[in-house]
Amino acid sequence: MNPSDIFSLAYDALVDRKVRTVLTVMMVVLGASLVVVIDGLSAGQAAFLAQQLDSLATNIMYISSGQHSYHGDASSSASLIINSAVVNKIRGLPDVTDVVPEYSGGVTIDSYGNIQHVSVTGMDPTKITDMLPNVQYVEGSTLPAASDRTAVVVGDSIANPPGSTTPFVTVGQTLTLTYTYADSSGKQEQEQRSFIVDAVMKPSGNQRIDNGLIINTDAANQLLHKSGRYDSLMVQTTDDTAISAVQQELTNLYGKSMGIMVPAAFIAVRQQTAEGNAMFVEMIGLIALIVGAVGIVTTLYNSVNERVREIGTMKAIGAQNSSIMALFLVEAAMIGILGASTGLGIGVLGGYAMTSFPSQPAGHGGPGGFGPATQSISSFPPIFLPLDLAKVWLLSVALALMAGIFPAWKASRLSPMVALRRE
Amino acid sequence: MRLVGLLNRDKSGMRHISGTMVSESVRTESKESSTTALTVSNLSKIYDSTAGRVIALDKINFSVKKGEFVSIVGPSGSGKSTLLNMIGALDRPTMGNVYINGIDIFSLDDSMIATMRNNLIGFIFQSFNLINRTTVLKNVKLPGTISGMSTGKSHERAMKILEALGIGDKANQKPVNLSGGQQQRVAIARALVNNPTIVLADEPTGNLDTKTGEDVFDMLKTLSHKYRRTIIMVTHNPELAESTDRSISIRDGRIEKDVTN
Ligand SMILES: Nc1ncnc2c1ncn2[C@@H]1O[C@H](COP(=O)(O)OP(=O)(O)OP(=O)(O)O)[C@@H](O)[C@H]1O
Ligand SMILES: [Mg+2]
Repeated sequence: MNPSDIFSLAYDALVDRKVRTVLTVMMVVLGASLVVVIDGLSAGQAAFLAQQLDSLATNIMYISSGQHSYHGDASSSASLIINSAVVNKIRGLPDVTDVVPEYSGGVTIDSYGNIQHVSVTGMDPTKITDMLPNVQYVEGSTLPAASDRTAVVVGDSIANPPGSTTPFVTVGQTLTLTYTYADSSGKQEQEQRSFIVDAVMKPSGNQRIDNGLIINTDAANQLLHKSGRYDSLMVQTTDDTAISAVQQELTNLYGKSMGIMVPAAFIAVRQQTAEGNAMFVEMIGLIALIVGAVGIVTTLYNSVNERVREIGTMKAIGAQNSSIMALFLVEAAMIGILGASTGLGIGVLGGYAMTSFPSQPAGHGGPGGFGPATQSISSFPPIFLPLDLAKVWLLSVALALMAGIFPAWKASRLSPMVALRRE
Repeated sequence: MRLVGLLNRDKSGMRHISGTMVSESVRTESKESSTTALTVSNLSKIYDSTAGRVIALDKINFSVKKGEFVSIVGPSGSGKSTLLNMIGALDRPTMGNVYINGIDIFSLDDSMIATMRNNLIGFIFQSFNLINRTTVLKNVKLPGTISGMSTGKSHERAMKILEALGIGDKANQKPVNLSGGQQQRVAIARALVNNPTIVLADEPTGNLDTKTGEDVFDMLKTLSHKYRRTIIMVTHNPELAESTDRSISIRDGRIEKDVTN
């Protein structure tokens, strides 16, 4: 039998049982598209985290008062009041090369009548590169001096809000920051200050920086009514190997009243978690594919049983066992190819569709907060590598073919005598 | 007539099982066997099952000449179908041999037997056994397709035979839309497409009314007499049996009578 004849016979048989064929194909589509979506999303997330990790200095850690501790037991112990005495004490620790105090809070900004709620950090702007060694600024930016109380540095996502074609903030303009607070009697009060945009950052890969403003330390103290109590400290050590020793020292000094976070380690842990999650969800996709394969087994097995007489007749008029086997394997392959190809298409489209509605980025991550701890996998643009897609396609088709083996073998073993069976 | 020309001309187009095998068997053929299409020798078939042992065929011996139209008759359960199935190599016998064109068919392996069935034997079934989802033409072409005949050639042959059988206009219809008699003619066309040495028919008129059955029978008779096809037909109809060249009566797996009409 010529291959083209086998294909034509297989095609006829599949078309003859349209509904069943379509349902079986859909099972494969489901599995393949699931695997594609998960692959694409986790590749996107992995790339994002890798980029973040890349942009971070490895020799810094953050210290916050226990209130904002990452250990989550804020209420259980007294929180540390971080003032200049604490800053000086930590500066004196061995292996510590610098300590940058930070204030943080939320303000609204007003740019030509448009209002946005953003987070603001009060710190020495010249120390930004301590944390983000590779950070870059847009044309026309000048990094303000540590003492410049009227300058503001703007993150990329604020200057260029996602989805908007016109920039919200440009270099040189005046930006008014409004801080709303309740006074001792509980009355709402507002504190306002104007700043000049000295610099706009290019995308840094760091959500907290991209979604925030940076102003002078003293200016923030006044604007945010901090009374000299810092929210967090950025501690720089001689190198990354000194991190754990300093961390130990700090724990000895302040115990649980203080939260310590090592951003690089934090991201690395997230990376591992993400990989683990992706593997778990990928397993589910694989299981869906296997379920699809079982569907093919069932469909073809039923088909063989229904076509016993036809198979017998074909054998009676001289079809080889191998031709009958090939016929059913081609049917399985056709289901697999159709399902895998459709599944790939749906998976890729689905991946983009899922990420085109951005979930609220954790940009206002509170004082001392670092990065998008709560971001879901679908917050990152998916990445579909042709090689990955080809692998999923081949896997789906291979599973479909494997699913065809048993029914095909059974069909090929039928005796031509069944052609004579009375109905 | 058209059909004569068709069947003779196509001798050259017939695909043989295997060049060496056929030529070897031709070399060992005796003078007598060159006019013999089929020889059944000491053929026995015993079915062993939990229900017991059935001797369906008990040392059957006979020969059929080329171009002969033989009917096989006998009561139900006498072994007629079993005999026909052995001749067509649908099943292997317990003992004995079947020679077609001098070839001991059960000495072949399963794959060669399949090729032999495709090349040398045309089957006509009581219930037609057509593939209903596809066209009449594709059904008729199928044995050609299986033998690897080119699409053009199998198409040409199928159309000629369908026209000779008077159903050329049905080529693109589905078999289910045809009458029983027309369906059986499609089955006959399919049996002839590879120009077989022997046509085997198990109660080909069994599912047809008397008149249609006679038409189909006449068609087989024409095939045999005018075009010298060798035909072996199982039938329950004594009148039809008498109209064939020779009737073999089977009873309890043995030949009871063998009459030339
Ligand atoms: N597969 C089988 N297993 C067991 N016994 C069988 C089998 N096939 C046939 N037989 C038995 O062999 C005997 C001959 O059966 P066969 O079908 O050849 O009869 P038949 O002459 O064709 O009958 P009918 O005229 O009813 O078609 C019967 O006794 C039958 O029961
Ligand atoms: Mg019978």
